[in-house]
Amino acid sequence: MDTATQTDTVTLTIDGKTVTVPKGTVVVDAAKTVDIEIPVFCYHEKLGPFGCCRMCLVEVEKMPKMTTACTLTVGEGMVVKTNTEKVEKAQKGVLEFTLLNHPLDCPVCDKGGECPLQDNTFKFGPPDTRMDYNRFNRDKATPLSPVITIDRERCIACQRCTRYSDIIEKDQALVMRNRGFQNRVSTFNDQPYDTRFSGNVIDICPVGALTNTDFRFTARSWDLTNSSTLCGHCACNCNMTLGARLNEMKRITTRPNDLVDDGWICDKARWGYDFTKSKNRIAQPRKQGQVVAIQDACSEVVVSLKKIVEAHGPNSVGFIGSGYGLNEDLYSYQKLFREHIGTNNIDHKTYVDTPGLPVTHFDLLDVETSDLVVLIASDPTEELPILDLRLKKAVERQGTEMIVLNDQQTLMDKYAALSVRYNIGSDGALLAGLNAVLQGQSAGSDLESATGVASSQLQLVAEKIKTAGKVCVIYNPAALTGSAIHTLKQCLATAGGLAETAVGAIPAAPVTNAMGAMDMGVLPDCYPGGVPLSNSDAIKAKWGDTAPLEKGWSALEMIEKARSGELKALVVYRSNPVVDFPGGRNVEEALGKLDLLVVHDIMETETAKLAQVVLPSNGPGFDEGTTTNIGGRVQLRTKGLTTDNPADWKIVSMIAKELGQETAPKDVHAITAEIAEKVGGYQEIKRSAIRKEGKNRAVVPSSNGATASEEIATGDGLILRIADVLFSHDKILDAESNLAHQFQPSTVHLHASDANGLGVQEGDEVSVSGNGHEVKAEVRISNRCNPGGAVLPKVSDEQDVMSLAEAGKAISRVTIKK
Amino acid sequence: MFAFTEASETRIEKILAKYPESRKVSALLPLLTLAQDQEGYITPEAMIEIGKRLDVSPAYVESVCTFYTMYYTKPVGKYVVKFCINISCHLNGCDNLMEYTARKLGIKEGETTPDKKFTLLKEECLAACCEAPVMQVNNKYHVNMTPEKVDQVLESCK
Repeated sequence: MDTATQTDTVTLTIDGKTVTVPKGTVVVDAAKTVDIEIPVFCYHEKLGPFGCCRMCLVEVEKMPKMTTACTLTVGEGMVVKTNTEKVEKAQKGVLEFTLLNHPLDCPVCDKGGECPLQDNTFKFGPPDTRMDYNRFNRDKATPLSPVITIDRERCIACQRCTRYSDIIEKDQALVMRNRGFQNRVSTFNDQPYDTRFSGNVIDICPVGALTNTDFRFTARSWDLTNSSTLCGHCACNCNMTLGARLNEMKRITTRPNDLVDDGWICDKARWGYDFTKSKNRIAQPRKQGQVVAIQDACSEVVVSLKKIVEAHGPNSVGFIGSGYGLNEDLYSYQKLFREHIGTNNIDHKTYVDTPGLPVTHFDLLDVETSDLVVLIASDPTEELPILDLRLKKAVERQGTEMIVLNDQQTLMDKYAALSVRYNIGSDGALLAGLNAVLQGQSAGSDLESATGVASSQLQLVAEKIKTAGKVCVIYNPAALTGSAIHTLKQCLATAGGLAETAVGAIPAAPVTNAMGAMDMGVLPDCYPGGVPLSNSDAIKAKWGDTAPLEKGWSALEMIEKARSGELKALVVYRSNPVVDFPGGRNVEEALGKLDLLVVHDIMETETAKLAQVVLPSNGPGFDEGTTTNIGGRVQLRTKGLTTDNPADWKIVSMIAKELGQETAPKDVHAITAEIAEKVGGYQEIKRSAIRKEGKNRAVVPSSNGATASEEIATGDGLILRIADVLFSHDKILDAESNLAHQFQPSTVHLHASDANGLGVQEGDEVSVSGNGHEVKAEVRISNRCNPGGAVLPKVSDEQDVMSLAEAGKAISRVTIKK
Repeated sequence: MFAFTEASETRIEKILAKYPESRKVSALLPLLTLAQDQEGYITPEAMIEIGKRLDVSPAYVESVCTFYTMYYTKPVGKYVVKFCINISCHLNGCDNLMEYTARKLGIKEGETTPDKKFTLLKEECLAACCEAPVMQVNNKYHVNMTPEKVDQVLESCK
């Protein structure tokens, strides 16, 4: 133990205080641990040492001159002084110099009150300047992008933003142009700086040079009511601070949690909040189009449900939830349907997946500490942006190697040691091949013809997996076709059995609380905590003797049963099947046949239009509860805004009460406590335990289904792949969104050989048809997928690309006509 | 559209051969020089092309390009006349020389004559303090300048 301490830590003295810190720490950070503040501008702990602003000069014994504490790594026995006369003089001098051309317009600057330049000047600066000539005037507020404003004259050229662009985002989009006092932050040719993570430069700017255009002049920072909350978009669940004033959302800023977001958020997290004040919100409950009191709406639901259950039995009723709900809301809903209706017709997804993993469930931090990351069918850049940053960091700075297996090209290929591109729809065959190779068998002679991947490539993948010490497999179950997920889990089980390798996985379904929805048992074949229906003893012990044990219908089956008339009533919670389910308008037709459709959602949707009863859901910003991210980390999402509408769980509770539930939960925390008691894996999830940085839920038992043998039917046309897009023009990012400039046109990505065969050229306007529907798109000859495939990014709800997909089929084919 | 000429392509091959593949960004300055020699100044299209070849963003190319005053991002005249304005030249009257030259050419600092013959620029330091004031015309230094010598130099520019 002692030797470990000697080699891993360093002890030094700062202002007479003894400090012991890990080796490699810089003096600025070491001082922080004993509450000594060394002022900085350019230094940021995520960007590493730089030393350009000179603000952190300190004296070190035995060093002839003062040195910058942000570039100095600690040494054993080092004696650092931060408060000598010499240091104070240097700090005053540096600040006087830094302020040479700074306009000192703090009273009208958004950064005022939370500005390191302002704070450092008060604490360490000179009382006045000796310069009596005019300041060098530069441009005042100009747009750096539609959402970021740059005040060039406030910039002190610390280069935090440009280094962020280079080191963290890795695209060098933001650079310093010119030199000397004329240098300025700029993009190439002054194009807008509109990357996916651009907003983080606002948070790290130590002056008021980079400000949030939407927030400018709308509130002073000290007038904001700040809530520590979570992002409600993707499944990373990044931590953020919601600043509100007079119950209106004003801004979102980062709230660093190294275990989740590493201190960054994406632009969708930062600016994708217009839905909190959108006019398209479902503001009040409706019954047959008429606004009613919430109690009346709930009663209507109960009366109708009772009538239908009496006439047709409990299995004529179904519930389609979604991963957008909180654990508490989803838990309440499944309980309502299982306990008070008596059906397992409960689901939240359109793809196949099963709870649990045959290997360790890795957390996001494990990505960085793994020797090898295997990314399967996942496009983190568009689906889980913060994972994109984490992967780049792992590969470029932590020495992690990455293998990408995907049916489409993604930005991650650039960072991969090996990219395997399989044919669209052949994921099952590929994973079966990989499983065989991992077991030391042959991948099969028809592998290459089926998947487009040579077996030598799979050998290489298997070799890398076998020789790496720690392997993290990240896969997107929502992008796998058919029952390929089962093959993937078999593959994981095989890899998990390797002697030399520690294998873990992250199931990276992109929806906010997709993991929580699985854990809460919003599934037709599993109770909460991944308890399969076959485990009837466990179910009866926990949920009573009347708990339904018959397998329910999946979401897609429910749509089919609605069409055939077997399903009479459906409650849809935070989901828009008409647009988001395969089949599109066919779904609309099926839902129209229901006796009762209840939609409980935040925004007006195409599905809500069909509903007899519409219930308002409050959504992120207003709601409170827990979510479980892709790493299995359960965190607390607190509310920053209030509303008169009841919380989602409360509405469920009102319905349950009328259906005969005796005791209603007092508040949302009572449900969190009930989850801890009833859901396997959540025993330790207490509000107090997760408040700060969340907590990993324990292992959920793994169950795996059998792989159905799926021959890819040959046919005419190209195999369709629908790709997720971060800034998709949907209900949450509507036309008035701050991010509207990020919306993309409808495109279809083709391989050059297919484009030649079809006689289409880059930029051609074509019609893509399949499943009796047609979508207009512009041709991109990008070789994004192998020949025989067509990638259509889901860029908007209006595009209606899901209508091209056939529900229940592993693959769908489309034909393209000019 | 920007494209390197065949002669430039041969040069680029030789330049890139000097650096290991992982450090090919080292060829940035020589490539910028080639582009400028070819077009007279460096266009955004040239920056994009160079960025592609060296695997860096066009913004990075622009950042390097604008750092150096000998790379031009706007068209310049046949002769680029530069006066050093740093301390030694300043004390030895570069301001007057600059003003004299501007009047003689009928343009202001930073401008180009309408016949596209001369561009007048100031330079932060030409590293020749011992012979201040210094004037540079294209790649040639002219030292210990006086108005008469300026006349002679400009006269010799055909």
